[in-house]
Amino acid sequence: MTEVAYETEHDIVVPGHEDHSGHHEGLPGTIGHVSPVKSLVVVLLCLLTLTVITVAVAQVNLGRMNVVVAIGIACVKASIVAMWFMHLRYDKRFNFWILIGSLAFVAWMVGYILFDSSMYQHNIRDYRETHNIYNAPIPDPHEGGEGHEE
Amino acid sequence: MSTVAEADSKQEALPERPKELAMHFDTLHQQFTTTKLGMWLFLGQELLFFCGLFTAYSVYRANHQEMFHYAHYFLDWKLGGANTVVLLCSSLTAAWSVRCAQLEQRKGLIVTLILTFLCACAFMTIKYIEYSHKIHIGAVWGSHFGVNQADFPEHLKETYPDLTSEQLQQMNAGSFFAIYFCMIGLHGIHVLVGMGLYIWLLIRAIRGDFNRKYYGAVDNVALYWHIVDIIWIFLFPLLYLIG
Repeated sequence: MTEVAYETEHDIVVPGHEDHSGHHEGLPGTIGHVSPVKSLVVVLLCLLTLTVITVAVAQVNLGRMNVVVAIGIACVKASIVAMWFMHLRYDKRFNFWILIGSLAFVAWMVGYILFDSSMYQHNIRDYRETHNIYNAPIPDPHEGGEGHEE
Repeated sequence: MSTVAEADSKQEALPERPKELAMHFDTLHQQFTTTKLGMWLFLGQELLFFCGLFTAYSVYRANHQEMFHYAHYFLDWKLGGANTVVLLCSSLTAAWSVRCAQLEQRKGLIVTLILTFLCACAFMTIKYIEYSHKIHIGAVWGSHFGVNQADFPEHLKETYPDLTSEQLQQMNAGSFFAIYFCMIGLHGIHVLVGMGLYIWLLIRAIRGDFNRKYYGAVDNVALYWHIVDIIWIFLFPLLYLIG
């Protein structure tokens, strides 16, 4: 009976830590959620499929939408990794909110600095023009050759 | 009311602490959830760490689309794609190693740890091929950028036959490569750290340190490895695919 005092807590289901998979695999007293092999393999296949889709979509010219689609698919892939590979789906909710909190600050920083830097871009363009520095045209990759001047 | 003597005798009756349980924790479960919380806080910080570079990328890309367009021809999406597949596979083996540790499958744990490490090696090898080629032709950071027209990638030569090396320099293609080398380089350093951690785990797994109640190290290193994978999931399309 050497381990009893340090083990009783394992039998208590911590809120937000329940097993949602319907069945519980694993040895008695295992800490945490055990991912079935099937779900791990399915997750990998989903990720690989989405990678192929990203590459395929990049070959099609959607204009500015290319960035949006690429980032959108990347977000889906990242969520899949976080939810299943990183066990967030079965983990304590608090860990999930740490991630969300961090991402909120990421969005804030990128958004704010993008907004700010766009305010002085015309100064840079003017400088390049007055100093006769080559301004590359914005290209249209799917027509080939030099694109039209902005 | 129990007397002091009784309390003392109770304390003596307490079973021996598991050897894996650090002295500042009451139970292995508490130890596991606490280290995991710490790991998630660290991962949140990691995202903010990379965020600085993603911000630099966004600002330059939003304001200098043409620079990104021409310069991204220098990156080979096939190599980048191969690295994506390798890293995704290593994420599977990392997640699988956690499963093996939970189920006390020592052999499986050792195999999955080795596979994860090998995937990381493959990733760094491909990285090395890319880096050495770029440095060789002079597609490097900042003002050091200078690629002879003869060294332009075939695809770039076909699409823009008139594009000169000087034009690339004047549109600051070096800035693109500064961002590229910093982002991919920082990510590569994380992969190297992960490789070190997997060797450490492998030694401990061979020693038989882990069991169903004590596998926090395997779990937390896997979490770190998945974050490295997630960063790459964003780096790949942003740098290699969309020009």
